[in-house]
Amino acid sequence: MRMGGDGELADPIISLIQILIFPGLIFLFILGLIFEWIDRKVFARFQNRIGPLYTGPRGFLQPLADFIKLLTKEDVTPRYVDKFLFNLLPGIAPVLPVFASFYLPLNGYPILHPFEGDLILIITLMTIYTIIVFMAGWVSTNRFSSIGAARAILQFLGFEIPMFISLASVAIDSASLSITYIADHQPIPYILLQPLGFIIFLIALQAELERVPFDIPEAESEIVAGWLTEYSGPKLAFFRLSNNLMLVFGAGLTTAIFLGGGSGPILPPIIWYLIKMVFVVILSTILRTVFARLRIDQVLSGAWRYLIPLAILQLILAKFLAVLVM
Amino acid sequence: MSTYKIPVGPQHPAIKEAFQFNFELDGEIIVNVKPRLGFVHRGIEKGMELRSWVQGIYLSERICGICNVPHTTCYCIAVEKLHDVDVPKRAQYLRIIINELNRIHSHLLWLGVLGMELGFLTFYMYVWRDRERVMDLVELISGNRVTPSMNFIGGVVYDITPKMEMAIKKGMDYLEERTKYYKSVVLNEPTIKVRTENIGVLNKSAATDLCAVGPVARASDLKTDVRFDDPYSSYDEIPFNLVTYSYCDVFARVLVRVDEVLESINIIRECLDKLPSGPIMKKLKRTPPPGESTVRVEAPRGELMYYVKSDGKENPYRVKIRTPTLANIPAVCEMLKGYHIADIPAIIASIDPCYCCTERILFIDKARNKRWIWSHSQLRKYSLEWYENGGRR
Repeated sequence: MRMGGDGELADPIISLIQILIFPGLIFLFILGLIFEWIDRKVFARFQNRIGPLYTGPRGFLQPLADFIKLLTKEDVTPRYVDKFLFNLLPGIAPVLPVFASFYLPLNGYPILHPFEGDLILIITLMTIYTIIVFMAGWVSTNRFSSIGAARAILQFLGFEIPMFISLASVAIDSASLSITYIADHQPIPYILLQPLGFIIFLIALQAELERVPFDIPEAESEIVAGWLTEYSGPKLAFFRLSNNLMLVFGAGLTTAIFLGGGSGPILPPIIWYLIKMVFVVILSTILRTVFARLRIDQVLSGAWRYLIPLAILQLILAKFLAVLVM
Repeated sequence: MSTYKIPVGPQHPAIKEAFQFNFELDGEIIVNVKPRLGFVHRGIEKGMELRSWVQGIYLSERICGICNVPHTTCYCIAVEKLHDVDVPKRAQYLRIIINELNRIHSHLLWLGVLGMELGFLTFYMYVWRDRERVMDLVELISGNRVTPSMNFIGGVVYDITPKMEMAIKKGMDYLEERTKYYKSVVLNEPTIKVRTENIGVLNKSAATDLCAVGPVARASDLKTDVRFDDPYSSYDEIPFNLVTYSYCDVFARVLVRVDEVLESINIIRECLDKLPSGPIMKKLKRTPPPGESTVRVEAPRGELMYYVKSDGKENPYRVKIRTPTLANIPAVCEMLKGYHIADIPAIIASIDPCYCCTERILFIDKARNKRWIWSHSQLRKYSLEWYENGGRR
């Protein structure tokens, strides 16, 4: 074990507070809502609109209000769906990003004890999330949902690979598969050492989060709401929540891998970490603002023709870099 | 290989009104399309027969929310033809101005909708912000943003004062600059280009065979425009270019409309410079003499046709309306075949559909080779009985 952890068991009450409140469940939930607000507000300002305004100061509480409103709506289970999975999946979906976020060093050190290989665990969790999206569309037995589900899987085939290769090139360079170790051992952040990898990762993250130009699985004007079509009320609220948590997790992972985690002068690590996460969210929003939605075949050919070769190039460069540093 | 069917509409985000396209798909590729009309039949033609000649103007204005001005222009010219009079020159020029303002508003609205259909919300928001400027000008002239109620049988209702002239010219400068910018966005933005180029191709011969009209036909390199071919309301005195493109795809339809906005701006400037003095209205009798007339005008969506028949009474004997969207539906069904599901919104939007103006009711029983038309009361009786019997066939 290369980790610097002292291996002692922490006080169970402190552990419980960490898991439930800070930086655990409630903190992540609030962060998800705040990021949605930032995303909507920045998106609106770029479009010369005002964005959420009435609920709370500057519309700050609008995402929470939306969440509560959806929870109070009628809970509908259509007749021909697979009832068990249809009701189960919205509950599972938010768990995955939360569980994955427990391995991010938000407060300088992750909630769950980091180990050599937690990067691989997180990659697995992200893959499972895509499969949950696919199943959610598939069990709806709606034609629009089925198309959306098929598109989700196709998009996954195009983007998971460049994303993982760009993570791998960082892992090779830092000679570790632990997120906390990678975040802590960056004299120069990897965004400067591997800018190509960062761009690839950001684009792939945009696809993972199903945001424009890669919101193909839920393309509104084409297939209604894609895999989400049949979900309404509380179930939709949970899927939206899980999407927000994915945004938090995605921004958190980018920060840990490419922006040096919570390291920075003067301010405590959590503040630095949050500033960097907001930076990633705003970058993602800008990407969402300036493009039109692409078509699934264009996205796949683009991913295989450009992103994957570039990611492999980055991998080779990282190998050279690692040799040079040694 | 099996195909499957998806219905798009009557409630679907890609189609803003109640209309249905039944798609037969092979994977993501469209094999066949069947359109279905008749969800929003409002009995307008029957309603025209039940109203007086003047009330007909306001009913025709409400056929279409967006291109309401060509509808009233066409109806008024048709009735004036029955009277066999020409309206004063100034009124004709004012009609051109309000028609072109309406065309700018309609085309900019469409450009925004296209942005939304392509998932490019930023473009949509910006175009619609600038469209407000046209609406402000229409409001300045008539007091209404969308439906100006400008045309009247025998002339126009509102005059343009020199002060308004200045405001319109200023507005035109602003719109010209913005439209040129949007044209450069369309020409240079890669994601718009890949989603519109070589999509929904309708070649020249197919466009002729399927009787495409308006910008759809002009994007397939057909030189057809009622303002040129059959000039009405002094359009022959104003020099302007007929915009055509030979790419035949959605991209060409975008460019045709954007260039038409620029042409409209020039037409309005020209009209304001040439605006003759004189009265704006000629007083006519309440009822036209017996007779019939057919008038075509160029609406933003294409050729709009009115047939009006009078038997010398208080109400029109018959008013028949043929809207451009109806003429373009065979063409759009042809355009869709062979493309992806993801192209559906862009292709359907490319004809600038307006379904509620399209709805007329004519029954054709193919098996018995019989056709008939129902009156408003018959239709109402049928619908009431249908719902009393549980609303099922």
